[in-house]
Amino acid sequence: MMKKIVLITAMIGIFLSFSSCNEEELNLDNPNALTTDQFWVTPNDAELGLNSIYAMFYKDGLWSRWLYFRLDLTSDEGFSQSPWVELADWTRFNYINYNFWEGNAVTWRDSYKAIFRANQVLAYVPDIEFSDSNRKQQILAEAKFLRALHYYYAGLLWENIPMVLEPSTPSDLPQQVSQEEVFAQVEQDLNEAFADLPLQWDAQNTGRPTKGAAKAMLAKVYMQQRRWEEAKTALDFLVVGEGANYSLVDNYKDNFTDLNENNAESVFEIQFGDQRRGGTDEGPNAAVSSTRAQFFAPRGIGWSDGQARFWLVDAFKQESTVDGEIDPRLQHSLFYPSLFEDFGDKTYGRDWEWGEDEAWFRKGARDYKRDNEDYYSEVNWRMIRYADILLRYAEVLNELGMTADAYQYVDMVRARANMAPLAEAYPEIGNNADAFLDRLKIERVLELSGESVRWEDLKRWGDLESQETVDEIAQRDPDFNNFEVGKNIRLPIPQVEVENNPNLEQNPQY
Amino acid sequence: MRTKLRFEFKLSVFLIFFTLSLQSMQAQNSEITGTVTTTEGKPIPFVNVILKGTSTGTSADMDGNYAISAPADGTLVFSYIGYATREIAINGQTEINVNLAEDLAALDEVVVVGYGTQQKKDLTSAVSVVDSEQISKRQTTTVAESLQGLASGVNVRGGGQPGQEARIEIRGLKNLQGSNPLYVIDGLVTTANRDFNPNDIESIQILKDAAAAAIYGSRAANGVIIITTKKGKQGPLKVTVSSKMSITDIPRYDLASQEEFVRLNNMAYDNGGVPRQELDLSVNTDWQEEVFRTGLIQDQNVSFSGGGENSSYFISGNYFGNKGTVISTDFDRISFRVNSSGEKGIFSIGENLALSNAKTDEIGGSDGFRGNPFFDVVRLFPTIPVYDEDNPGGYGYGKSGVANVFAANPVALANLIDQESENFRIRGNVWAEIDPFPWLNYRFNFGYETSFDEYLYLRREGNWTLNQPYEPSFTNQNRAQSETILFENTLTFKKEFGKHNLSLLVGTTYQKNKYEQINGLKRNLLINPNTGEYFDVLDLGDQAQVGGFRNESLLLSYLGRLEYNFDDRYLLNAVLRRDGSSRFSDANKWSNFPSVSLGWRLSNESFFNSETISDLKLRASYGELGSGNIGNYEYQGFINTFGAIVLGDGQTLYPSATQVRLANSELRWETLKQTNIGFDMGLLDNKLQLTGDYFIAKTEDVLFGFPILLSTGNDGGNPISNAATVENRGFELSASYTEQVNDDFNFNASVNFTRLRNELVSLGNGLNESIQGNTITKSGEPVGMWYVLQTDGLFQSQEEINNYTNSEGDVIQPNALPGDIRFKDVNDDGQITNADKTVVSSPWPDFEMGFNASAEYKNFDFSMNWIGSFGAEIYNGFRSVVDRFDDDSNYRAGIQPWTPENPNTDFPRIVRGTTLNSRGDSDRWLEDGSFIRLKYVGIGYNIPESAIKSIGFDKARISLSAQNIITITDYQGLDPEFSNPNIFQRGVDFGSYPNVQNYSLGVEIGF
Repeated sequence: MMKKIVLITAMIGIFLSFSSCNEEELNLDNPNALTTDQFWVTPNDAELGLNSIYAMFYKDGLWSRWLYFRLDLTSDEGFSQSPWVELADWTRFNYINYNFWEGNAVTWRDSYKAIFRANQVLAYVPDIEFSDSNRKQQILAEAKFLRALHYYYAGLLWENIPMVLEPSTPSDLPQQVSQEEVFAQVEQDLNEAFADLPLQWDAQNTGRPTKGAAKAMLAKVYMQQRRWEEAKTALDFLVVGEGANYSLVDNYKDNFTDLNENNAESVFEIQFGDQRRGGTDEGPNAAVSSTRAQFFAPRGIGWSDGQARFWLVDAFKQESTVDGEIDPRLQHSLFYPSLFEDFGDKTYGRDWEWGEDEAWFRKGARDYKRDNEDYYSEVNWRMIRYADILLRYAEVLNELGMTADAYQYVDMVRARANMAPLAEAYPEIGNNADAFLDRLKIERVLELSGESVRWEDLKRWGDLESQETVDEIAQRDPDFNNFEVGKNIRLPIPQVEVENNPNLEQNPQY
Repeated sequence: MRTKLRFEFKLSVFLIFFTLSLQSMQAQNSEITGTVTTTEGKPIPFVNVILKGTSTGTSADMDGNYAISAPADGTLVFSYIGYATREIAINGQTEINVNLAEDLAALDEVVVVGYGTQQKKDLTSAVSVVDSEQISKRQTTTVAESLQGLASGVNVRGGGQPGQEARIEIRGLKNLQGSNPLYVIDGLVTTANRDFNPNDIESIQILKDAAAAAIYGSRAANGVIIITTKKGKQGPLKVTVSSKMSITDIPRYDLASQEEFVRLNNMAYDNGGVPRQELDLSVNTDWQEEVFRTGLIQDQNVSFSGGGENSSYFISGNYFGNKGTVISTDFDRISFRVNSSGEKGIFSIGENLALSNAKTDEIGGSDGFRGNPFFDVVRLFPTIPVYDEDNPGGYGYGKSGVANVFAANPVALANLIDQESENFRIRGNVWAEIDPFPWLNYRFNFGYETSFDEYLYLRREGNWTLNQPYEPSFTNQNRAQSETILFENTLTFKKEFGKHNLSLLVGTTYQKNKYEQINGLKRNLLINPNTGEYFDVLDLGDQAQVGGFRNESLLLSYLGRLEYNFDDRYLLNAVLRRDGSSRFSDANKWSNFPSVSLGWRLSNESFFNSETISDLKLRASYGELGSGNIGNYEYQGFINTFGAIVLGDGQTLYPSATQVRLANSELRWETLKQTNIGFDMGLLDNKLQLTGDYFIAKTEDVLFGFPILLSTGNDGGNPISNAATVENRGFELSASYTEQVNDDFNFNASVNFTRLRNELVSLGNGLNESIQGNTITKSGEPVGMWYVLQTDGLFQSQEEINNYTNSEGDVIQPNALPGDIRFKDVNDDGQITNADKTVVSSPWPDFEMGFNASAEYKNFDFSMNWIGSFGAEIYNGFRSVVDRFDDDSNYRAGIQPWTPENPNTDFPRIVRGTTLNSRGDSDRWLEDGSFIRLKYVGIGYNIPESAIKSIGFDKARISLSAQNIITITDYQGLDPEFSNPNIFQRGVDFGSYPNVQNYSLGVEIGF
């Protein structure tokens, strides 16, 4: 009997000793990453967080790839003959599936990804202690500039979009606002950013926005709203004011290669590199490159998903230089059938093997140093360059009735291309503001074709608002036969967003 | 270190215990002898003879003779597999001769129910037992595949890719993270993946309802499959050698010949107003011939087993090789197992250990559906050559203006890319038991599993598709180790008090999982000039990238079970498990999972008197199970530090960091609440057995990462949330009939039937519905219903187009031409938009069936197994590619597109470059996926003992069998039986690897 009691006691004792598992062990830390609570503590965290907003330029929904399809190919400068029909359909107003990732949703998502990152910096950095409070102000200013930049383009494309100004949580259902309200926020962010951004960065920090870049963005957003006075004020800063430290580079081509980046003409430039060979996702070694050239390069060289309308070639040949030669900007703007004949350049080292009425975008192409493309172009993208600013200044002056003053700025741009002064070449314009604007539209194409400004230009000029002007565009770009006035001036909002956010309505007529 | 210490501590405690218990009690015993025979008087060897209520026992010898020492007032229990157990009171006799009846019905079968066993007749919950013989007959890679059609309520979908693991779903889709059940192999919670040798299986039990599975608590929501591996039996060494060789074939598409292709392609271009491409008519490639081949599977198995009075052993070795039916696909497995056990007095100990090495070689996939051989062979034109010197790497593919197609050349992929994964796994457990009293058992189980994984990807220079950007050679490799450590302690009290039979189990478990990986990548690999091959080691090359990660999780549990049986009439079973998981935040780590089940054996009531019904039991159960089947650290938000930016005149790289993926800090356990009502009935002396169950399983707080708004800026996966409630209701019935007609002939036929209705009760996160691809998931409907535009025939004339208007008189499809598809304008807004999509049909079958039949006549045996699935609608991805014509591909042979001359067809006008007729989101691509399939048929012949005895064999058997050779279906794709891992798009057959047809020859020898 005694034995039994001993046995039972022993067993129960052992059992209990096994049972007392250490419940503390259940608190396992992730050995792979910092938690959000552990971050946003030091000034270095603030720098890293800020950098992550810049990293959004390298994503395929934005300035690495698909945004060019929206800005360049949807406009009358470009089009798509991609065998990927849906991709091509999204450059010609055949919007069927509003969730189409490459055509719509990814650009929407990436815009908000950038905004989320900016919102994190703007929410968390103010609580970080800095020994250099000036740097702290700069970081916040840079974040505001970048948030404004992404809201500007989102407002340009979809117009009526949700406004998110705080770090996101999974259950957010943000409220939709009108384009006007979006742009008001953009203005506010840019004005605040302007105050704390420097006029110039040191050599290690080129690529960050300056006061001039903030004013240039402000000018864009004011001009889009046809608020010419305010636009003029903003542009004054760059052209005649405190920030007038820009000039046109001698060689037009220097704006499109990696050989003379961040030059005197560059107002804001996306810094691309080829150091990292990853994807456009968030994985290790995520790329810091542009893939535009791979997608726009001619058939057999790149994916050839986008190309230039041939009317551009004709436009360049309308007027010769003062020496009677072809406008030299054509050479660096397009690959086209007589490129070799006209300028002695082959196309990626090849003779012309494409259609006799075909042309391909050359800006950003690396044919000057290789005969193919890949996903890792290091050529910086000059998002805003001084030539654009000068032409905008001219446009604003013209709109304000100062047409005579406007001439000189157009002439500065023309002079670099060895074109005669405008008044000399087109004396009939005189002080007729409408005629001046009509001419300016062509000047902008000749100088800026393929630089992603055409879509905002067409919208600003009102050319997409009447059937008559759309018909006129359709002469140059038959894709505009599909364009429905009042509808296609803005993109449809991705349908999943509309369905899952009660505070969001689909754009009119979609 | 802590873990190791604990283990040592536990061992030392054992030793103390062991010594203590050696001096166990003795009583006044006498020697009893006798012979055990069949009812016909033939001796039965090796029958177990146990003194009832003790662990004292022995086995009969070869001739059925036994001897046991037992008290005069005791009772002896005689049991042997295949015979009805008998209990005989000793009553002072010293010689007891017994005969045992053959037990075809096997009602007394012992069922493993997790941390213990029960007799099948005492079950109060839904448990299916699968005959291991049925499993070993088939030629399968994983256990799951071999369960197909053998149990009701168990849905299995395999695939023919070598090494592919079948999808298994028990009683429907209960959550949205994955349907895999919990596998418990010899007490170790693990996965029965492809590196487990199905030949080692002794028995399989499937715990289907919550009451049965509750003992596994938080991991059992998808059901539990308990696998027991073979043990040695008392007797001399038995050697079994078996060899199976199979030839496998893949079903093929009926594609257009070169001539037909050219005619149709030109027609599509002409209709689209696009200049024809300059097809290379000098080439005529049969891409299926280039890519598909006859496969070969071999399964070589040898086992050694035996045992003495107090010990047993089982050793097996296996080689399984599968040369795939697609070029450059292979699977090889070598496995080895040792199971042994021994006992002395009240102490017993045993171990199960399996080692395996599995290796798969896959055809190198690239991106999207390019790189899937089942799409590439149909997209590539017959006019594209396999090899083309002009292309980098030398392979043929699309060419602008000549062959406008972006399909990848599978031959190029096979040769330019190597993709191999290999893993070496050790899986095993050691257990020890002490039975200090007949009514008390203590069991300690230590389980350990580790796998060493290797992955190699080598990309050689060269292209496989049109317009491909240049990519240098590179290799990407990883090495990983996974590790699971399990400690379990259970205490079982079992006692009879008159008619009251009570059993109580309490226990604790501790399970820790770890997975670690390091990986590296190098580009621009060197070529060895001697072999022309690349150096595929990470030393050579440039642009190195390295990475690595580690995942850990821990589960602590307390468990308890009460079984109560009154007079074999009233049965009660109650379980409580409490689980704590590291995967949830502190507030939500712990949860309880209770269950209760009741049974009533009507047939044992005195008032029950039936000639035909020999056994009848009613069962009812309710239980709650959990699921925490999510990533290890989902409730926390993390900082992604992978990014970088370029800044400065020197274009210098600087790092970046931010939160990319959002997280839900309030995640909690998902809970499955299941009610089950069932009956078990035996008729005609249990020759006919019926089992029926009705269940309602409701899963609340389903953990899933439903898409959140894109405007949150979230990336890297949707954050997991407790997002939905899903309900499955179903009815299962199985019937089997067994008849021993005479000594030479017996047969068995069984049928099982499953009807299941899945319903999404609600979606959380404020969502009303979730649209994924062509499916919609919304409350009140099953998950993933087809949500597409409806087609309504073809327009035959311009007049029909003009007359096709909405109620306002607007022409709905003004741009259509005769021959184009008419779509239904569901919302009557005068145009065809996304708003016209409706729920048109279901990807879920109405019901599924399995039918099995077997017969034995003299030395011949025959068996077959049919499965059937009825009423599911399938999206035919193949047709959506080859019938579209807006984008080029090869086409189906014999299609009759609409032309003015050929208007009597349902195939629309074919037009290059417009998606009008080819849009993927219409019901044009949906097809009835019902099918009946002869899954297995085989005959075997056992060479008569007389012929083989002389050469020393006990058993020699030859078998011939075939799998998947007859399929009755209207489905136009390759195989209506496929699995799509995307839960919402389960019915989308988009390049799924079809099941292979398989012809096998098997030889088995035992001595």
